[in-house]
Amino acid sequence: MTNATIQEIEGIDDYWGPAFRSVYEGEGGHEAFLQQLDERIKQHDKEIEKLCNFYYQGFIESIRELLEVRSHAEELHAEISNVDANVKETTDGLCVRSEELIRARRVELNIASTIEKMELCLPLLTTYSKLKSQVEAKRYYPALKTLEQLEHVLLPRVGPYAWCSHISSDIPKLRQAIQDASMADLRDFLENIRRLSPQVGAVALKQTQEMLGRSLENIIKNKKDMATLGPSSVETTTPQSPHELVDFSPLYRCLHIHTVLGAKHDFVQYYRSQRRQQARLVVIPAAGNLHDSIQSMKSYLNAVLGFFILEEHLLTTGAGLVSSDWLGETWGSARSAAAGTLRTHTALVTDPTLMLSIKHQIVLFINALKCYGLPTEPLPQLLQEMAEHYTEVLMQRWVAVFRDILDNATFRPIEVENQEQYDAVMDTFPYDGDELETQAFPRKFPFSSVVPAVYVQVKEFMYAWLKYSSGLGLGGGGRAAAARHSTSLLLTRSFTGCLSALFRRALPLTQLVQIILDTQYLESATPYLYEFISNITGSELVTTQPAGSMFQTARDDAEKQICENLQHKVDEFLDLENYDWLLVEPSGQASSFVTDMLGYLTGVLTSLEQLPRRAREAAVTAAVQRIACRLRALLLEGDVRAVSAGALHQLDLDVIQCEQFAASDPLPGLRDQLLEHFASLRQLLDLITSWDWSSYLHDIGMEGAKYALVSPREAATLLEKLREAEQKSSVFSVLKKNERDRRKLLDTVLKQLKQLQNQDG
Amino acid sequence: MAKTYDYLFKLLLIGDSGVGKTSILFRFSEDAFNISFISTIGIDFKIRTIDLDGKKVKLQIWDTAGQERFRTITTAYYRGSMGIMLVYDVTNEKSFENIKNWIRNIEENASADVEKMILGNKCDLDSKRQVSKERGEQLAVEYQIKFVETSAKDSLNVEYAFYTLARDIKAKMEKKQEASNPPGARGGTHQLKANDQQRKPPSWLSRCSIL
Repeated sequence: MTNATIQEIEGIDDYWGPAFRSVYEGEGGHEAFLQQLDERIKQHDKEIEKLCNFYYQGFIESIRELLEVRSHAEELHAEISNVDANVKETTDGLCVRSEELIRARRVELNIASTIEKMELCLPLLTTYSKLKSQVEAKRYYPALKTLEQLEHVLLPRVGPYAWCSHISSDIPKLRQAIQDASMADLRDFLENIRRLSPQVGAVALKQTQEMLGRSLENIIKNKKDMATLGPSSVETTTPQSPHELVDFSPLYRCLHIHTVLGAKHDFVQYYRSQRRQQARLVVIPAAGNLHDSIQSMKSYLNAVLGFFILEEHLLTTGAGLVSSDWLGETWGSARSAAAGTLRTHTALVTDPTLMLSIKHQIVLFINALKCYGLPTEPLPQLLQEMAEHYTEVLMQRWVAVFRDILDNATFRPIEVENQEQYDAVMDTFPYDGDELETQAFPRKFPFSSVVPAVYVQVKEFMYAWLKYSSGLGLGGGGRAAAARHSTSLLLTRSFTGCLSALFRRALPLTQLVQIILDTQYLESATPYLYEFISNITGSELVTTQPAGSMFQTARDDAEKQICENLQHKVDEFLDLENYDWLLVEPSGQASSFVTDMLGYLTGVLTSLEQLPRRAREAAVTAAVQRIACRLRALLLEGDVRAVSAGALHQLDLDVIQCEQFAASDPLPGLRDQLLEHFASLRQLLDLITSWDWSSYLHDIGMEGAKYALVSPREAATLLEKLREAEQKSSVFSVLKKNERDRRKLLDTVLKQLKQLQNQDG
Repeated sequence: MAKTYDYLFKLLLIGDSGVGKTSILFRFSEDAFNISFISTIGIDFKIRTIDLDGKKVKLQIWDTAGQERFRTITTAYYRGSMGIMLVYDVTNEKSFENIKNWIRNIEENASADVEKMILGNKCDLDSKRQVSKERGEQLAVEYQIKFVETSAKDSLNVEYAFYTLARDIKAKMEKKQEASNPPGARGGTHQLKANDQQRKPPSWLSRCSIL
């Protein structure tokens, strides 16, 4: 039993449960089993000893052999170390070289990539430099294009380099610079055309003038001239159109640039506002006073015209820089301003020749405007106003002429010594000299030198006046009518005014008479003046103007002065009066101042014989009336307190002298009229001297009474004076009976007269 | 009415046409001068009042036409004149020679006691002078008339001439008045004959006596 279990244990690796139970439950228990196990171990020891004995030899052998391998290995180790050192020595150099090679390779690669990058940048740079040079050369438009390319094509292609960002930050600046530069160019251009526009205007006006003067005759003449001068002269002609004088390219360039920059609208606005300002400036005359010389007027018109010709040119050539609305508006305000300027300046012109040249310039100006299709509206109106002013100016000038003529006039009939002088007068003045023709020299014209002189001057005036109206497009008839109007205005206003001025100082009678005659001759010559007008203007003769009234005012003045003159003389005579109001006995002769006066008046009246009857009548009547009035006043005025019968008689004598003068028919048929002036005085004197109180008092207030013209007041006044004188002379003497009666009667009459006076009052 | 003057003297200017009578008168009455020549037609007059020894003297100066054709008109004024200015032109020999004829004219037509004076006018035009001052003086001595050279243009001696003539007339008149001493005869010396009267004035005195 214990044996088996050891075998079992040895045989089985696991599942040792039953082996352990047999150990326990077996016979001999544990001692048996431990014995068995010792036995077993002694067995295995014996086996191991046997085996070791067996393999010991082989083991020694192997050790020996191992030792031998050891020496060999040592030898091999030295050998390998040697080789290794050798290899190490050789590979060190190799490593250095290969490292160098690697570095070179790397450099090479870098260089290649750099070149590649550089080649990308190169076009950008060249473009940039081109741009710079273009800007430099002020070729802004290509520069702008280049800029565009640079910005949009070239820059993105190149990487994000610092210099690229530098360039791209430069681009807006450049663009601004280009814009500024082109603006500067525009300003230059604007300045330039402002300078050139007068020349443009001048050329345009010259062409207009040539065009207006174009006629078949002139064309043929020009052709001939050209033929004689040869074709070379054609080369030297002025530019075909006035606007060719101006180089518009800066403007267009600028416009393009702004279009490219997308600022076309702004640019157009800018341009228009600039030009509008210029337009405002151009209508203000640069020379200050346009009325000083025609030159300043010319340059003014040239400037205005040139300005708008250029604008008009831009309108047609276009690009929308100038719209027709804008042009119309600008021109509208400019032309009214220009018209205003012209109006104020021409109103100051006092020189007719200057006026004429100005008018010519304005007519040309209007025609030129028409050629360029610009409206001319207020200007023809202005010409019309200027025509009136011109007439005024002429009139003023002729007033001076007339004044000169009148100041130097002698107002004596022209006397000619020989045929030559006679013809000279007849040539200048239309006078029907049939009667004079037959007379012997010296011949005497009925008019003074004023008449032909004025006639000639009126003709001169017409020439001057018609000079203005030529070229205004008026018809012959219209011109003639206007000329007639101005002429009659000249005569009725200017000449008559000069005559009136003449009358402001007292003139001798003979001059006054001659003036009246002269005006008649001048009037009779007006139809010839009208004929003259119609000849010049080529219109039909109009003779509607009623002659004879033209100088009526002047004649009236002259007549009035003649009357005043005579009255003044009468006054002078009457101032010489020295009545002795207490005269006892009249001298039996008229007072000397009366006879002198009447003699003088007779003489004067004969010298007035040439005058129209009306004037003579007025003169005589004025003189006689004044005499009657003064004599009456002498008698009735308050200064004289007492009048003696003798003095009354003396005055009566003088009145009779005057009545005789009136009755002597100084003017045939005027007798009764003249006597009429003395009637009241005569009745008063008759009443007193004939002491006819009964009939006076009886008839008073009745129609056709003998003393109808004597008022009770006058009668009483004179009666009182008589009584005063009688009282004075008879203070100390005793009155006779009849004298006392008379005195009584006188008092009664006086009383009655007073009563009558009171009734009337 | 209060008298505005004490004496009234009528003076007359005579002489050839163009010697300057009107200019002298113009200078004296208006103190002005006008170069242009306007010949006098017939007769004209101017009045100026001057003061002589405290007396107001009114001068009525008649300016006659020198031209022959007015002679008949002008001679009628000789008789009433109290003083006559004989005017010649020192630049015109003929006008000087004619003075003798004018004096004869005066003798024939004017009253015998008329005061006279000779004026040699235009003495400012020395370069054109034809009549020397001495010849003028000689002529004056010959006729025992006062003489002075005048210039109406330069206002030379014009006043003097008129004042002298007026003073002479006044002296003569006062002498005469003293001699006769006629009361209230003033003005009678220069009265002209009235023209023959067609209408006989009814006599106031006769009427009075009937009453």
